[in-house]
Amino acid sequence: MRRFDIVTLESPNRAPLRIEGFEFGNKDSKGPTVAIVGAMNGDHINQLFVASGLVEYLRQKESEGKILGRILIIPAVNAYALNMGEKNWPLDKTDISTMFPGYELGETTQRIAGRLFETLKGYDYGIILEGRRDQGMCLPYVKLIESGYEDMESVKDLGLGFIHYRPHEPTETVMLQYNWQLWETKAFSIVFGKTGTIDHNASSEVHTAIVRFLSKRKILDFALFEGRVSNIIDPHKITIVKASRAGIFISSMRCGAQVQKGKVMGKITDALTGETLEEILSPCEGIMTCQYSHSLIFQNSIAFRIASVELCCELV
Amino acid sequence: MGIIEEVFTIELPVGENFRIQRCRYGSEFIEDKKAKRISIVSGIHGDELEGQYVCFLLGEWLRNNTNKIRGIIDIYPAINSLGIDSITRSVPFYDVDLNRTFPGSKNDFLPAQIASGVVDVMRGSDFAIDIHSSNVFLREIPQVRIAKSQEETLVPLANLLNIDFVWVHDAVTVLESTFAHAMNTIGTKTLVVEMGVGMRLGYAYGHQLLKGILNLMVHEGILEMEPPKEVRFPIQSHVGEVAYLNACCPGLFVPAIEHCQVIEQGTVVGHIVDPLSGISKAEVIAPIGGILFTLRAYPIVYEGSLLGRIFGSNKEEK
Repeated sequence: MRRFDIVTLESPNRAPLRIEGFEFGNKDSKGPTVAIVGAMNGDHINQLFVASGLVEYLRQKESEGKILGRILIIPAVNAYALNMGEKNWPLDKTDISTMFPGYELGETTQRIAGRLFETLKGYDYGIILEGRRDQGMCLPYVKLIESGYEDMESVKDLGLGFIHYRPHEPTETVMLQYNWQLWETKAFSIVFGKTGTIDHNASSEVHTAIVRFLSKRKILDFALFEGRVSNIIDPHKITIVKASRAGIFISSMRCGAQVQKGKVMGKITDALTGETLEEILSPCEGIMTCQYSHSLIFQNSIAFRIASVELCCELV
Repeated sequence: MGIIEEVFTIELPVGENFRIQRCRYGSEFIEDKKAKRISIVSGIHGDELEGQYVCFLLGEWLRNNTNKIRGIIDIYPAINSLGIDSITRSVPFYDVDLNRTFPGSKNDFLPAQIASGVVDVMRGSDFAIDIHSSNVFLREIPQVRIAKSQEETLVPLANLLNIDFVWVHDAVTVLESTFAHAMNTIGTKTLVVEMGVGMRLGYAYGHQLLKGILNLMVHEGILEMEPPKEVRFPIQSHVGEVAYLNACCPGLFVPAIEHCQVIEQGTVVGHIVDPLSGISKAEVIAPIGGILFTLRAYPIVYEGSLLGRIFGSNKEEK
């Protein structure tokens, strides 16, 4: 394992920011190459956990001579934010994850993104460990942007249950996956967990999926069981179930549960009187893939998302 | 007298509603198909307060001049009302920049629902003026920024606003998620004004923009009166170039000159100093001559932090 600084940036008063990389495999290897990027935001603890777990796992595998290609892992991009409970760059609150491909003559986070991106160019595969931007938690899924450079076949090797496949949104043109794909890396994101904490089940599933991917892509010499057959879905065709009232949200479901139409999924109580304001019922049959994860819920927030083969209903 | 209405509301978890309020003048013209409608918008970023003052000044003026109103004038002082009342730029709780969430969606998280609600409420407006105050880091002269694709439609309107500078820039795709882009897309001619600095008021700028808004409304027939006198014609960005001053190292930026000065090439704009060692680490030099239309207001800088912008004449004309 080679541990090195990819980016260092002096601070006015803090110790310098260091974005560290952990590289496995022989630099001269002719095998496939992959880079895995962990926490780009300060609340992506789950992504940090999975990335650092992979560093530990691959360190062992390397000592066993099992690395066939070359693997770079960057567990933390925004360590400054992680170290102070901030989500974004602590001074100007800009989001490094939306500064790609970066700009060497630009502002601080554009420079950080640019220097990071210089290192990331040229890898065969790119895996971005992504957290949610809302107050939700979800089953791990792959987010694959349709740019013309995406590679669905490699993504299926993860063996995760769902692949969200759709055209990019305007805001995604400044994100890593889109730019990485334009530079001809087969890049995709794995979205999972809940911000600010660790979901051990989801983390384990993502860890295993990445190891399976490395194995199937002949980057790692280690066989493991097949994963799931991935369902490719348009995320806009997932049924959303909204909270009609605000208050204290109590879920009675776990992500991944199969629900029947009419089943009680959770309830909302009045935060002051305790009165039940709403019982949230499933409007259809399917798999509950995602749910609101904070105890206080806003009116009209999305409480649950249900994936079905056919979109069964859409609340407006 | 304006009519104050709650135009968008969502229950918050504990005994409170998130709300967006508007004060409408000229509601008697709603049925008049020839009457035009303008929306004055502020507070999409909760730490930008210049627009709140302009809303006050405009409301005060309209209350005293109701007989001159010939159209519908909607004033929205506080879009991100949670943010404004808590010195928070983004939407609190979600920490999401509302001006990167448009046009929003009813089926997405709270910031997207707010954005969607804002678009719905203002749909049908002929004009919108979205007033920003830069941020807490930078002080700006009153200016309007316009995407190149909107230049033909919007520059003539911006020239009426009594501002100092019209900056036409190449559109960045991410700006498609702004309020202005969303509104321009649905046919509301929307101008983005930047002036002053975050968390503070520049009283003179407020009065300057008020005069410009009145001027625009007179030209568009929303007010019937003589246009205000001595409306300034803004500098146009196409006649020159913008030079950026970015910090070459971290430290404390100490300006050497005032904002909004006309400076020569080679002028010392400021220094980046190190409080620990007592060393002056860098001299910030103007790469071109021109007007220093942006100057850093918040002194702590990292490498890359924007220190200022200079608008100067085209290179070939020098």
